Amino acid sequence: MSVAIDDDLWSAVGDPTRRRMLDLLLTDGAGTATTLSQHLPVTRQAVAKHLGVLDRVGLVRVTPSGRERLYEVDEAQFARAVAQLSSVGAAWDARLNRIKRIAEAIQRSQDG
Amino acid sequence: MEYASIEREIHVEATPEVVYEVISTPEHLQEWWPDEAELEPVPGATGVITFGDRSSPDANVVPLTVLEADPPRRFSFRWAYDQGDVATSTNSFLVTFDLVPAGAGTLLMLKETGFREQGWEAAVLEEHYRDHVTGWDFFLPRLVTYVDRLVSTP
Repeated sequence: MSVAIDDDLWSAVGDPTRRRMLDLLLTDGAGTATTLSQHLPVTRQAVAKHLGVLDRVGLVRVTPSGRERLYEVDEAQFARAVAQLSSVGAAWDARLNRIKRIAEAIQRSQDG
Repeated sequence: MEYASIEREIHVEATPEVVYEVISTPEHLQEWWPDEAELEPVPGATGVITFGDRSSPDANVVPLTVLEADPPRRFSFRWAYDQGDVATSTNSFLVTFDLVPAGAGTLLMLKETGFREQGWEAAVLEEHYRDHVTGWDFFLPRLVTYVDRLVSTP
C-alpha cells in the first residue's frame, strides 16, 4: 500500500491492445503503426492512437522513418513499470519475513 | 474483470499455533504490516488497517473483512475495497494464509488474488518482461537485496 504507483503509466498499460503492442515491439525490436496493425485486430488509425498514449507516458520512443514513425519500447520506463509490479511481490516477501521473525522470536521465548 | 495472483511460501521455525497468532491478531499484525490494525479474527468480522499516523489526514485507512478463521490452519480476508462498501470478489483483494506443519515448524503459504486493474496489468507486464527481456535476472537479485535490507532493519 505504501508503494507509489504511477497512475498514468498504469492506465497506459491497462488496455489489452496496448499490452499486445508492447509485446510486439519487444519481440520485433521496433515497429510502425502499419506493421503493428498487421498483427492486431484493429485499424492502423487505432494503433496510431494507442502509440500516442504509450508515447505520452514514455513507454515508447519514436523516430521518423520515411513517411512513417518508428516506435521502440523505452526500456528504462518499461523497467520502471515492471519494478512497480515487483514491489507488490517484494512487499509480501518483506511481510512474510517479518511474520517469520516475529513467530520465531515468540517460539524461542516459549521454548526458553 | 480479470484476475491474477501472487503466491509465496516461507518456512517458519515456530508451531502453526504461534504462526497463526502472528498472522491473525491485531497486536501482531501491526508489527508486520499496517501501522495499526483493528479487527477481530473471526469469520465475517470487519475491521480496518491503517497505514500512517491515524491522526494525520494522510493516513490510509483500509477496510478488511475476515472470511475464514480456522486456527491453526487457515486465515483469509478481503481488503482494499472502498470504505462503506461490502467486500466482494470484484472490489477487493483476497488474501489467504494456509499453515501446514513442517517438522518442528510451519510452512506458511500466502496467496493474494482478485487483483483489480493495476495488479493484473502489472502481472501481464511482468510476464512479457520475463519472456522477452533478460531483465528478470537483473531485477531478482536486486529484490533479494531489498528484502534482506528490510528484514535486517531492526
